[in-house]
Amino acid sequence: MKNHLHLAIARAEFEQQIRNFFKKRDFVEVQTPIMVKTPGMEPHLNVFETKFYDKNCPRRTPAATGGGKSAEGGPRYLNHSPELQMKKLLGHKNPFDKTDHFEKIFQITKVFRNGEIGGPLHSPEFTMLEWYRKNADYKTLMTDCENLITTLQTTLNFKSEFSMQPAARTLQQSPWPRISTQELFQKHTGTSLLKNRTYKQLKKAAKKLDLPIKSCKTWDDIFFTIFLNKIEPNLPKTPIFITDYPASQAALARLKSNEPFFAERFELYINGIELCNAFSELTDPKEQRKRLIKEQRQRKKMGKTVFPIDEDFLKALKNLHTSKTTAAGCAFGLDRLLMVLINKQNIEDVLFFPL
Amino acid sequence: MASTTTITKGLVILYKNNPWLVADAQFVNPGKGGAFTRTRLKNLKTDQLIEITFRSGEAVETLETLRKKCQYLYNDGANYHFMDNESYEQFDFSKSIIADAKNYLIDGTECYALYIEGKPVSIQIPPKMTFTVMQTTPGVKGDTATGGSKEATIESGAVIKVPLFIKEGEKIIVNTEEGTYVSKG
Repeated sequence: MKNHLHLAIARAEFEQQIRNFFKKRDFVEVQTPIMVKTPGMEPHLNVFETKFYDKNCPRRTPAATGGGKSAEGGPRYLNHSPELQMKKLLGHKNPFDKTDHFEKIFQITKVFRNGEIGGPLHSPEFTMLEWYRKNADYKTLMTDCENLITTLQTTLNFKSEFSMQPAARTLQQSPWPRISTQELFQKHTGTSLLKNRTYKQLKKAAKKLDLPIKSCKTWDDIFFTIFLNKIEPNLPKTPIFITDYPASQAALARLKSNEPFFAERFELYINGIELCNAFSELTDPKEQRKRLIKEQRQRKKMGKTVFPIDEDFLKALKNLHTSKTTAAGCAFGLDRLLMVLINKQNIEDVLFFPL
Repeated sequence: MASTTTITKGLVILYKNNPWLVADAQFVNPGKGGAFTRTRLKNLKTDQLIEITFRSGEAVETLETLRKKCQYLYNDGANYHFMDNESYEQFDFSKSIIADAKNYLIDGTECYALYIEGKPVSIQIPPKMTFTVMQTTPGVKGDTATGGSKEATIESGAVIKVPLFIKEGEKIIVNTEEGTYVSKG
């Protein structure tokens, strides 16, 4: 039986140290809405849907709503990530006040993923840390990850069963290895992703590896089957950045300029556990719109709710694009990070009332 | 044919022309790349253990099986001996087939044997079982640094984490799948 008081103290201290880390580096802490009209479009994610009722509200006139944008009735969604909202802030521009803009922002918030269950690493509600930097790319974010975790290891000192474990303390030597998906597939399966760019080619390669792929309908399906069977189980316990994912799996990321088959995206694994997902942001609003439309089609094909395109998000990208500003952002699962730091095996060990 | 989303622990499937017992099955819907089921499969002909992750929707063939009540008799160091409750027929399994269930077997334990094509191939013990605590240290009040738990040896020989108030000679209920304390018996 876990001690709830000790867990509360540990979690509060953990989040406080993270806030200190980012404030020290001049990040502004923000709080964006948890309930939104347009969530992210990731094809595999299911959102929690709710509805905003306006039937019983008095008829709204511009005067009644203070002249601002009035709330319309209709569907609302719980965020599966604050990503779009945070990029809206990053692209925020005030024509009357040039000082009103953001350089570096971070947020700690709850996120929700419907149907996301199974095993010791998933919960339909969890705590996400996201941070964004202007004039930076994903390499800067990898260094951020190293600095954040090594700082937490030296500053956190829980005096309870939630104590820092010796195993976690040995994480410290950075930089941590960075290995691309291309190198990783080559190393563990002898398969080159670049030489197997088509569905047919990769299917043939997977068959040679003796994997169950009958149900795989797309190139990405086969990619994941190989990854889950041959790579993830063989990842080291020590920290490792897996970088440069296939572009088809990074709809909001910038492509690699020397090899556009891949995108500038990475995930950090410690103990074989995926902790974060990050990328150099795509800031071209036209290209972004194309990719969102493609994802809308994918969602429709999969029988999932199709969301409208968030025009405010595209406007924010346009602001970044016209001022030639690059950006990069990272989404970090905090419950899992706490698990890794204090050597707990199940996400429920760090949650109060698991759902 | 069974779709793999319904692959569950205890099921016997045909995979690569061999019968495999699903020793462990975990459905995972991770939010990227679609749902899958992580399994640990035990080859019922060779005892070989493998780990395979099936995409949700991947179809596998299941094998007809029969579950019959049996009783644990004894172990001779290498093998564990059982008796069919109806036919009184005796059979035995090696340690590796019994796996974690061996931690909870005491003479006379009622369990189920799994038969494929008339042959017993594995054993299933009840998910919750009652045991007497044989040995444990006296609990110290206010000692919460260890999370309020201590170790206790139960009559089958297994060591279980129990709350501090549990005393020697008391009966406790144990979750045999997780190896954890449930409540006082």
